[in-house]
Amino acid sequence: MSYLNPVRLHFSGKFLANVSTVNNDPGHFNNATFQSSFQKLGQGMTNGWFNPQGDASFRLLGCRVTSAWADGAVVPEDDTVLACGVADADSRVSAKLVDLDPEQQLVSQIWGLQVRLVDGNGTTLLRGSYTPAAFCDIWSRAAGSSDIAACAAYQSVLTDLEWGDLSGSAFLRQLRTLSAPNGTLSIKFNVDAFCMDFSSPDFMCGRLVGSIGPCLPNEPAHLLVGRHFMAQDTPGNDSFFKPVGQINYCPAVIDPVARCLYLDLGNALPTTGPDNALKDLGDLRLGVLDPIATPGAPAGSMIPLGALAAATYAGDPTWYARTAGVVVFALDANQLAAAASAPLALSGGAGVMIGEAASGAWLRADDFVHRLSPGQQVDIAVHAMRWGRPLPGVVVDFKADTGGLQPCNVIDPNDVPPVGTPLAAIPFNPEARTGADGIAWLSMVVGDPGTPRYFGAGTHFGIDGQVYGIRASFAAPQLQGPVNLTDFISILLWSSFTPRLPLTWVTLYPIFKQYANLYPVMNRFLDMGDYGQVVANADLLKLAFGLAPDDPNAMPVTRDMSPAKRQAILAWLDAPLEGPPILRRQPAQSEALSPPADDKVNQGGKATAISRRLIVQQRTHATMKEPS
Amino acid sequence: MIRLNRRVLEQLDPQAPDVAGVCTTLQYAIELEHATIPVYLYALYSLDVARNPQIVEIIESVVFEEMLHMTLAANVLNALGGTPAIGQPGFIPAYPGPLPGGVESELTVSLRPFSMEQLALFLAIEQPENPHIYHSCSDDLDADKPITIGQFYTAISVALGQLGDAAFVRPPRHQVGPELMTNAVVVTDVASAQKALAIIIDQGEGTSTSPLEVTGGGYAHYYRFMQIQKQHYLVYDPHVGPGEKAYSYSGLPIEFDAGGVYPVPSDPSAAGYPAGSQQRVLCDRFNYSYTALLRALDAFLGGDNTGRQMDVAIGLMMSLKSQAKAMMSGIPDPGRFTGPSFEYRGSDPAGER
Repeated sequence: MSYLNPVRLHFSGKFLANVSTVNNDPGHFNNATFQSSFQKLGQGMTNGWFNPQGDASFRLLGCRVTSAWADGAVVPEDDTVLACGVADADSRVSAKLVDLDPEQQLVSQIWGLQVRLVDGNGTTLLRGSYTPAAFCDIWSRAAGSSDIAACAAYQSVLTDLEWGDLSGSAFLRQLRTLSAPNGTLSIKFNVDAFCMDFSSPDFMCGRLVGSIGPCLPNEPAHLLVGRHFMAQDTPGNDSFFKPVGQINYCPAVIDPVARCLYLDLGNALPTTGPDNALKDLGDLRLGVLDPIATPGAPAGSMIPLGALAAATYAGDPTWYARTAGVVVFALDANQLAAAASAPLALSGGAGVMIGEAASGAWLRADDFVHRLSPGQQVDIAVHAMRWGRPLPGVVVDFKADTGGLQPCNVIDPNDVPPVGTPLAAIPFNPEARTGADGIAWLSMVVGDPGTPRYFGAGTHFGIDGQVYGIRASFAAPQLQGPVNLTDFISILLWSSFTPRLPLTWVTLYPIFKQYANLYPVMNRFLDMGDYGQVVANADLLKLAFGLAPDDPNAMPVTRDMSPAKRQAILAWLDAPLEGPPILRRQPAQSEALSPPADDKVNQGGKATAISRRLIVQQRTHATMKEPS
Repeated sequence: MIRLNRRVLEQLDPQAPDVAGVCTTLQYAIELEHATIPVYLYALYSLDVARNPQIVEIIESVVFEEMLHMTLAANVLNALGGTPAIGQPGFIPAYPGPLPGGVESELTVSLRPFSMEQLALFLAIEQPENPHIYHSCSDDLDADKPITIGQFYTAISVALGQLGDAAFVRPPRHQVGPELMTNAVVVTDVASAQKALAIIIDQGEGTSTSPLEVTGGGYAHYYRFMQIQKQHYLVYDPHVGPGEKAYSYSGLPIEFDAGGVYPVPSDPSAAGYPAGSQQRVLCDRFNYSYTALLRALDAFLGGDNTGRQMDVAIGLMMSLKSQAKAMMSGIPDPGRFTGPSFEYRGSDPAGER
């Protein structure tokens, strides 16, 4: 049941996601054509976008517990959990938010986050380590097509729990007891209303609303084994997902013991504007499709399960923060029986509708973002379920799918680093049958992709390795239903790296130089493209490159350097040979380039990435061809 | 020159000092060593490194040694069974104000962008007493007169000698050694404790016979700063005199480009920035990181003397540097320059907006 548990708390506040934006364009990875203007604040990829100086820090800001529930009731007001803040680390650096790849920017992950519950006196009552997680189900929540309008969800777990003095909170004692078997908590939060105005105090901040509950044994970390409502995109939309029924993908869990259904609408209801209240979609009625046709309802009628009044979710401006969008519907025995194996649906005013697939089946990889080195074995668990229960004994197909990736090069449109090739480097099984636990395994020992994304037909250093997409789907047609296009497994497979010995600066220079180009924040410490400065800062660099990727201090902050390259750098820093002088050609001046006129492309961030997806490019290409 | 109020030594009984009294005095020492760091860092990060690289290098080198001094004082305190108290609100002095234990009428320290006037403050902080004072302590301990920092450490050193080796905890306790920090001294007895304190004196003031440090190999802080004022590096110069006099400020020129200083305010405070403003947000965020660093150091110098915890602290130092250099140079909003106030902030920086 994860965070959708009778024992759970909700919290609300802000987040900081101070990502850097120079690396948002694959063309900026070409050292040979990089220009200093690409590091400057400014619109479009011929400049450094909206935050070139970002340091990747991710913080929880001013988050407070807004409500807590235990066994169907709100916890008493004197429970200290209600005075708690939800904070991040207080004695180490902040977490980092990083993209997987410039050509897969739609699964940004949080690394190195520590989450704390802090009482009114500043005392830490709980400290836990957040397992790195990527966002999912990004969509256009508010009107508009820029990142300001977007919303996405992060679901993960907190481990290594350290509990403080819980004498003032029966709720937290109960949460501790429930989480004890696994030593793990489930945490989910929704992020929206991102601010991109550099003059605002909220620059690079947004709204964050979430929930924490126990994570029980055998529960996956990043998804719910539950009921999944499937939305459909507006036809022809090439921007953030815009559900035709106005409600985004959302999960629910039925608790037969507590006789209720938990519906998480936290990332599903639109708002009237960024950071605004939820939009009035009319009273939302939850029902289950009666599979038995009757003379009066030949296609099956809806058995009502409950309703959420518009006056509650849209009329009460505190509702979203107080509940994180989680709605609890009490079910009687008849409703429980009806809902057990028939599709749920939620409807509201005119045109407002979302429902489960007719089959009730759904699947997703728990951990859908992977960074891999050649020779590495990977086993990825794909959880299949039907009517909220693990679905054993069914065949799951795996297919390479690059449609959601975002190959692009605006600097030189004739030199776009291709994605998804060579496919031979990811020899995955084309299908797998789910076990008793409903899990199908996608397994492979990955090979070496070579350097397919070097620029100039392989002559110029470029983007390391290759990025791939693999989509899982049910083999049986009767289990198939609506497809969530953003829902696939993303793999960054690094190139092998066996430099000629002795290793010198000449070999490593392109790596350091690219890093210096893409992350102007490093100029506050050193010029990473300068041999003397790198050597002078060797101790600091050894520290940063030697840390585990989940350490918030690890370099590169982007986590996009292969272990092989990091090891080579570490070895070289011990004896930093310079080698022969490097001949550097002067890049052309920047005035030749001007930002493209396309507003959508110029917005930057996820909005631009969305518009670059291969599936959109192919659609646009096809449309352009049609008239002729 | 800093003169400390004699009350900083009131816990040291000149005849029969006890361990508790020495520990209290060493805690004072840690606070004093820390107190100059924000002052130096504020000036350091106000400088555009591209336009004032030499001055940046000089100030940075002094800051590194002030951190070493904090660690050395903490090593002595730990060796006596005490525990440094760093991660708490009262640890940070208020700026502007006297240094901890300082005589208020003599020297007020401020957070100011770099200028030749601020450099004069640095020189005043680091100015050595007449060399003969290094040799003695009790001779000059006039009951009413303020004391110098050299005298302060010498008094502790004498008290340690009186306590004897038996006062030191065995096995060595919570020591940060040279494997973690260059020039750190593991304190196990009177001799090693006195060696640790001697490094603090020598690096701050120079030895009695030379501007050179015995440990570290550079010039003492006072002479390093004086190079900036004299606009030339200090070099060995046998033509000007024998022995300790064989030095002159006649090396390569050091240029101060006054245009390469960001226009940040003097003595900023978080409360001084308008509530809800970007400057307030950036200042609060910096202070939260600064407080996190003090907590990390509290753990590091309080028993978690591991390489891992040292890395945690270094990570926070780098984060502070990054934040300070950004906010002071007009990032993210060009033209809006924000000075970090180095105040204690235990809660995350958005709760009060």
